[in-house]
Amino acid sequence: MRVEAVGPRTEARTARRVRVPGWVWALPVYGFLALFVVYPLVRLLLEAVTDDTGRFTLQYVAGFATDPFYRRALANSLWVSGGTVLGCLALGLPAAFLLVRYDFPGRNLWSYLTVLPIVVPPLVGIMGLVFVLGRAGTVNVLLMDFLGLARPVNFLYGWHGVLLAMVLHYFPLVTLNVVDALAKVDASLEEAAEAAGARGLRRVWDITLPLLTPGLVSGATLVFILSFADFATPLVVGIQDLLAAQAYLNIVQFVDRRLFRMGLVVGALMSLMAVGFLLVARRVVALREYAVVSYRAVERRPLAGPWRVVAPLLFAGVLGLAFLPHVGLLLAAFGKAWSLTPFPTRFTLENFDQVLHLTPTYVVNTLRWSAVAVLLILALGVPMGWILARSTLPGRGLLDSVVTLVLALPGTAIGIAYLRAFHLPVAGFTLTRSWLVMPLVLAVRRMPYTVRATFASLLTVHRAMEEAAASVGASALRTFVDVSLPLIWRGVVAGLLFSLLFALQEAAATILLVLPGWETVTVGIFTFYTSGTFGQAAALGVVLVVLCSAVLYAVYRLTGARLGGLFGGGGA
Amino acid sequence: MEVRLEGVVKRYGTTAALSGVTLEVQEGELFTLLGPSGCGKTTTLRILAGFVEPDEGDVVFDGASVRRVRPAERGVGIVFQNYALWPHMTVFDNVAYGLRLRRLPPAEVRRRVEEALERVGLPGFGGRTPGQLSGGQQQRVAVARALVLNPRLLLLDEPLSNLDAKVRARLRSEIRRLQQELRITTVYVTHDQEEAMVISDRIAVMRDGRVAQVGTPVELYERPADLFVADFVGTNNLLAGTVQAVRDGLAELKTPAGLVAGRAVGRLEPGRPAVLAVRPESLRLRGGASAGPTLAGRVVLAQYLGSLIRYEVEVPGQTVLLVDVYDPKGHRGLRPGEPATLAFEPESALVFPREPDA
Repeated sequence: MRVEAVGPRTEARTARRVRVPGWVWALPVYGFLALFVVYPLVRLLLEAVTDDTGRFTLQYVAGFATDPFYRRALANSLWVSGGTVLGCLALGLPAAFLLVRYDFPGRNLWSYLTVLPIVVPPLVGIMGLVFVLGRAGTVNVLLMDFLGLARPVNFLYGWHGVLLAMVLHYFPLVTLNVVDALAKVDASLEEAAEAAGARGLRRVWDITLPLLTPGLVSGATLVFILSFADFATPLVVGIQDLLAAQAYLNIVQFVDRRLFRMGLVVGALMSLMAVGFLLVARRVVALREYAVVSYRAVERRPLAGPWRVVAPLLFAGVLGLAFLPHVGLLLAAFGKAWSLTPFPTRFTLENFDQVLHLTPTYVVNTLRWSAVAVLLILALGVPMGWILARSTLPGRGLLDSVVTLVLALPGTAIGIAYLRAFHLPVAGFTLTRSWLVMPLVLAVRRMPYTVRATFASLLTVHRAMEEAAASVGASALRTFVDVSLPLIWRGVVAGLLFSLLFALQEAAATILLVLPGWETVTVGIFTFYTSGTFGQAAALGVVLVVLCSAVLYAVYRLTGARLGGLFGGGGA
Repeated sequence: MEVRLEGVVKRYGTTAALSGVTLEVQEGELFTLLGPSGCGKTTTLRILAGFVEPDEGDVVFDGASVRRVRPAERGVGIVFQNYALWPHMTVFDNVAYGLRLRRLPPAEVRRRVEEALERVGLPGFGGRTPGQLSGGQQQRVAVARALVLNPRLLLLDEPLSNLDAKVRARLRSEIRRLQQELRITTVYVTHDQEEAMVISDRIAVMRDGRVAQVGTPVELYERPADLFVADFVGTNNLLAGTVQAVRDGLAELKTPAGLVAGRAVGRLEPGRPAVLAVRPESLRLRGGASAGPTLAGRVVLAQYLGSLIRYEVEVPGQTVLLVDVYDPKGHRGLRPGEPATLAFEPESALVFPREPDA
């Protein structure tokens, strides 16, 4: 067979093509981030130090700093988030060790189930818990009926309830990160320690935990930032003196201008703090990130003796608690006029008829905004991942920082920032009065998952594979389509699905930006629940959980349950 | 220390990693486990270290069974293939870790760590982290960490396989020098037969979870016990054929290339398949044809290696034989395509029964 020389032809082709500099292609991406992330954030920070006439003033900042109420809210927020992190570590670390290092009955099943609490947005989770553990919830009614308790036991209303709901919801993030990090620890590192005489907890403390630091810190930071920004969960159990709750309450009230300004200050402060946490975490991770190639994973050992029973029971207990909200949700959603009995006495489909058929707005809107958001993410987030992994464009470091920043920014702060940045008409168009703002804010908030997934997938494709395609004459685009894409599409789609999953759950920025007619499922749940229409709130919750479960299932099918990388791997 | 493995069996699921390994390592010797990957050499080492418990058989250190003794209490020092230095600790802390666990006074720890680093040629490196060291330096630290606890037995698991050729050769001699200075009983695992030959007092060649042969490098090279060892240790030309006759310890073999003879090893019966092994340096080469019991062939390739010329000669039966001509100055070079005649002394060749699976 004769192979024709390809040299001259390719030369001719490249010569004919006008080379567009790379940064021109990147302009829309950079422009998007500048306009919809950097600008609103800068605007929010500026708003905190200006008055209504636009003059610089520190009166609101000073007002915040000197008001004992806000100072207490700040302290409360810090310790609630810190407590949540500790709780998540206490649950998540042992769970990860058990799942990676030991074999026991049902290990595979538990490793799947552990991720599931993520499916329930915290707002839905706490609502479900109230149905079971609340004042008139199943457990209290049973206790009063059968044990003759005069007053209901307070399981939820207060700090302990906030912590319980948050820990149950967020601990899988720690587990996922640690599972990922544990799997990368080379067996010989621990064997070397054992040969030196370090055993059991000593070895875990001296060798294993330090090696897990990046994963641990990533998971912990994420939990800290998310719980710090969560305002819906505390409000449901009646806690208001937290920063996130104050930011929300001050912004949505339209009476007091001063309070509104305080809301802006709180939002700005929360953004700055989130950035601060992120920077500290990055520093720690960078110091502790070792390029260790794992030759041999630690062998999984069967659990011996009583632990064979205790370990599964532990998982069953924790996950049982984590699934308690589902039970409450289902009971309330299918129950008819449920009150003062442990379980609903009659069951009905009425609530679903309401939220799916008679006023399907919530579900339709959620699907609509999320779908547009995912398209936006596909168009912008995938190129961002590619720029980070493959290009040598200027501003890559900045791009990386902005994407990570978005992950850390509280939804409340973004919502407030958008309200202030886009409420004035530009060429007759006011963004906050157009439905476009809903998918836009979702896309911005959930883009990092896709960027990271694309980036991580591209990193696993060896450069030489692409270079080999280029060397036989494939153009950059052909190389991407024929070589890179078939190797990374699973990762990219998984990232998109995660973006979708969390877009469906979004309950912070959208609650602030929503106008009549744009209500999403989470907005519906929040308004139904706070107005006492529990049945419909629960029905919407069930719909949301089903949607999210379907998305998560699709991710599982695609990636084979290796989800840790999406949440971890440097930064938060 | 004297080390004995007695009939050690280790199974993983249904596959046997080791099926009855019996070995004896003498006091102060460097004993190498040599074999292809999957032969069980690393499993054997890990059983000596105590990381793997044998299903059957016993591990005996100085006459006492250590089956129930934990790794740290066995008094073994281990050097891993990938160094296994703890990346979050400095070089000093890596070496000092075991001493500190034993609650030695800080001054004593410092003295011993510095002594150990000095011994491996890295004085003053204590403040660095493993990430700042080259592969060779990391492996020296790993050796220092293993030696600092004064182990009775030093175990090295393919310690040089991740290093480039030059560093490998140098570290190899250094490990040997250290071992002889300290007179420490050492078990060394490698798949590199040249490395094994250079460094070892004795070698156990392993295959499929069994010991094929134990001997000094010279014994393995000159008197391999079976075809596998003959093929694995050094370079050998193999000619397959059928046994014609066995006489006075010599076996005559009929091969497609002609009639050949060599010393008989193992059970050989006329009419049975067998293989003749003859080393490249035992073959003599002449241009053109000549009389006598010779193999006629054609030069395929000539490689000039300085101290020798290595020819590839194709003989009938689609077999390519390697022929080494040492001190090539007085030798008239043959070109590819030229006919060549090969001859060898039957005493320098070995004939093995062909194994059922080969």
